[in-house]
Amino acid sequence: MAFQMTDIIPALPEIFLAGLALVLVLVAAFGGEEAGNARRVTRLSLVGIAIAVFLLVQGDAMPSLAFGGMFAADSFAFYMKALVLVGTFAALLLSLRPEGNDDINKPEFALLVMLALVGMMLMISADDLLALYMGIELQSLPLYVVAAMRTNSLRSSEAGLKYFLLGALSSGMLLYGASLVYGICGTTDFAGIAASLSSGDLPVAFIVGMVFMVSGLAFKVSAAPFHMWTPDVYEGSPTPVTTLFAIAPKVAAMALLMRLTYGAFGQIADQWSQVLVALSIASMAVGALGAIMQTDIKRMMAYSSIAHMGYALAGLAAGTPAGAAGVMIYMTGYVFMGAGTFAIILLMRRDGQAATKIVDLKGLSRTHPLLAIGLLVMMFSMAGIPPLAGFFGKWYVFLAAVQAGLVPLAVIGVVMSVVGAFYYLRIIRLMYFEDTDAPLDAEIPAVNKLVLGVSMAVILLFFAGLGGVLTATDTAAIALMGGAR
Amino acid sequence: MIEALFFYLFAGIMLASGLMVVVSRNPVYSVLFLILAFFNAAGLFVLIGAEFLAMLLVVVYVGAVAVLFLFVVMMLDINFSEMRAGFQKYLPLGLIVGGILVFELVAAMYGDVFKGATLPEAMDISNTRALGNVIYTKYMYLFQVAGLILLVAMIGAISLTMRKREGVRRQSVAAQNLRSRAETVEVVSVPSGSSPENLSTAAVKSTKTTSRNGGNT
Amino acid sequence: MIDLLTHSYVVNVAWILAQILMVIGPLLIAVAYLTLAERRVIGFMQLRKGPNVVGPFGLFQPFADALKLMAKETILPAGANKVVFLFAPMLTFILAIVAWAVIPFGEGLVIADINVGILYLFAISSLGVYGVIMAGWASNSKYAFLGALRSAAQMVSYEVSMGLVIINVLLCVGSLNLSAIVEAQRDMWFALPLLPMFVVFFISTLAETNRAPFDLPEGESELVAGYFVEYSSMSFALFFLGEYANMILMSSMTVVLFMGGWLPPFDIFPLNVIPGPIWFILKIMLVLFVFLWVRATTPRYRYDQLMRLGWKIFLPFSLLYVVATAGFLLATDRLPTIMAG
Repeated sequence: MAFQMTDIIPALPEIFLAGLALVLVLVAAFGGEEAGNARRVTRLSLVGIAIAVFLLVQGDAMPSLAFGGMFAADSFAFYMKALVLVGTFAALLLSLRPEGNDDINKPEFALLVMLALVGMMLMISADDLLALYMGIELQSLPLYVVAAMRTNSLRSSEAGLKYFLLGALSSGMLLYGASLVYGICGTTDFAGIAASLSSGDLPVAFIVGMVFMVSGLAFKVSAAPFHMWTPDVYEGSPTPVTTLFAIAPKVAAMALLMRLTYGAFGQIADQWSQVLVALSIASMAVGALGAIMQTDIKRMMAYSSIAHMGYALAGLAAGTPAGAAGVMIYMTGYVFMGAGTFAIILLMRRDGQAATKIVDLKGLSRTHPLLAIGLLVMMFSMAGIPPLAGFFGKWYVFLAAVQAGLVPLAVIGVVMSVVGAFYYLRIIRLMYFEDTDAPLDAEIPAVNKLVLGVSMAVILLFFAGLGGVLTATDTAAIALMGGAR
Repeated sequence: MIEALFFYLFAGIMLASGLMVVVSRNPVYSVLFLILAFFNAAGLFVLIGAEFLAMLLVVVYVGAVAVLFLFVVMMLDINFSEMRAGFQKYLPLGLIVGGILVFELVAAMYGDVFKGATLPEAMDISNTRALGNVIYTKYMYLFQVAGLILLVAMIGAISLTMRKREGVRRQSVAAQNLRSRAETVEVVSVPSGSSPENLSTAAVKSTKTTSRNGGNT
Repeated sequence: MIDLLTHSYVVNVAWILAQILMVIGPLLIAVAYLTLAERRVIGFMQLRKGPNVVGPFGLFQPFADALKLMAKETILPAGANKVVFLFAPMLTFILAIVAWAVIPFGEGLVIADINVGILYLFAISSLGVYGVIMAGWASNSKYAFLGALRSAAQMVSYEVSMGLVIINVLLCVGSLNLSAIVEAQRDMWFALPLLPMFVVFFISTLAETNRAPFDLPEGESELVAGYFVEYSSMSFALFFLGEYANMILMSSMTVVLFMGGWLPPFDIFPLNVIPGPIWFILKIMLVLFVFLWVRATTPRYRYDQLMRLGWKIFLPFSLLYVVATAGFLLATDRLPTIMAG
């Protein structure tokens, strides 16, 4: 039971990142002058993430359990971790602006992001109720802090506090549900829970516990009706932090939700499916309708992400391997759309001041034609126009829902996509058919170009690599459904 | 018999002080009653043979956490009438939550809903060792993650609250210890009848700069 | 049957009470003479005589002081919170006494030989801060409150490194039982291999008992007398007794942890015929002498220096030493076998 090599190897990327974070604590504390040190810590973090990706790819492809069955390293974990690593890499890269971003110009930012990254990876690999909770807390706590990082801004403090309070509430719900589940199953191990569910009927208390757990996780993926924190946190946080929020944590939370429902509660898909259908419909509606009213692009992106989670949950509600694969494809597109869009939003500055109103995008096609094309691609992809990545995500998700007999859900989803397309197209209209007298700052840092370019390439050429993605997600879905056990 | 007597003694005082935490008018009294409740909880732990947990409860909760509570409560200017007003408003909600918890306790004690979770077998080792086995061997992974979470809490608290102020003079003990006598002290002959202002400005300035170099930067 | 049961209970309780009295009586006398010793020792170090008038060599001075204190009026300040005000000195005194329950005076000579003795001691000593902070708050006086805040922060800070030092010792022993800790030092006192920790522990006990050079909570030049400035008569005497009893307690803790408790320094003929308790008391007196010696010779620390020493030097250093000790024991295969019970 003690510490062994068989435990270390599967968790090597996480162990490496955690060790690096500890080194970065020292660098952050003794690195000298603040702005330069912040850049140094961020660069070291980027190198570290690259090494972690290498370790992940090099790692033994055989699915394995480590630390007494609490840590699952299977192809599902591999796929989702790769997404999270890439997403966090992009977010950190975008925070590394040459002139230095005054908001989060502290070495602690990258350090906390690294620790949150470890938390996300542990969430993805969690195969035990205790590991699940620890992963969530390790991911959430640093994010609460970075949301409030701009200490002299009331809005940032408000965002941090709101995020913290609602996050704490959701953790409480999750724990309460977990305690009920444990009380009935007598084990915290996902495999053990699944085994104890296959025999006998379910007590009501178990359903209550399961609903509480799913609700707690719905907070983390910001699915309606647990989405209240999202717009305020997106708007109030410093933009590089919002970038991170929009890209990585939801992938991890979605992965955890998938592992919990498909892994631990796989036997009772009919029970949780109803809950997820309700969450999905609510999220799609709130996301699509809420975004229309927004004037701030960060708030709009918040509602957009709520809607995206709604579409992803539709695939999850199907409860089939195809549904799981659909969610993974959706999240892949989501990461790159988020990275690309925020690479542009971060550039929305006028005279060095952040200008994040949607109307600030007026006439972007005249002043910054390249950015306008980038944003056009992102918006089309989010709206689900073929042949972009967002379209394939929606396609496989709704296909899985229909195959699982959830036709009304798929219909509502398509309707809401059409409604949602309205506000994405509004941005395009502003960029291309209106003029401005106050252009945004001209300078485009190389990192933004890089992230935007890579994201555009992935989204535009998604159909070319679709075969590979499908193979990977199918394998991962089978691993998730119990292939590893 | 003695055990039962002590059980009811500890449990009774604990319940009473728990009630007093909520109803007493003075928040300092509330904290003091909370400490009393912790103490009796420790007593109950001793009764069930969990002496390690009992001591830990006293060291951690009474010796550290409650001290901080007491600090904060004593230093803060709390408006009691406002707190009273909230009490009425939140009472129904509190009663509902309490009711649910009581229902759960009853269900756990008398129902067979939670049949899955059984008490582990009592082992023939001291509870210090048993806890060590569980924390550092079986759940070593979670222990390490918990350590990272605490690290995050520490970094977060520091980075959110620490303000770097300009012009703060800090003592550098190492620099102070490293300087020699020649750098710090200068013997200046002061002619009788003259005040320090009349001294050559160079001499005064040099003593000032050396004392600054001597660590107070 | 019932007669027998009650009988045995009565006998048990009476025996325990007798043991308690056997500890408390000498303890109070020791406290009394510690105050005299302090004044005399410091007097000699400062080339004065100290109190030498009452009785031979001033030996009755403590009793004269006690009578004086008892004869005085107990003053309750008008704005004070009376219940807490009166409870605080009692708490200080009670805590200083109850900790003695687990101290082994000799082989088997201990009131309660519990498994987690060292944790019990640590827990009780960590409660001492309540007497201080309650007294400071209840006095409703600025000097008292400031003194209490300083003192509470100081005691809490130094407890952390004390805990880590204790872990060092526990790593070498493999038990939390105080008698086992003493027995483990039969070959070598822990003061030698853990010398840096011994020094850290001793300095921490100085801070924990608010003694010089860390006595700024009661720094007379700024805060008059700190948290007990409003106290008089018996309530003051209780604080006084508690503080000195705490000094003796901390000394005995130092002796148990690092100086081999009741064991003679060398297990050779003339030394090992002297009974254990005598050795124990002699060692305590030695440590107490150092307490007084320090007071006579060192100037008072500034508050920020005190905090710096506790948090930035002792804490990392003792943490590092825990790692080093554990690593050394593991590498040389000297980890103690964990004793049953």
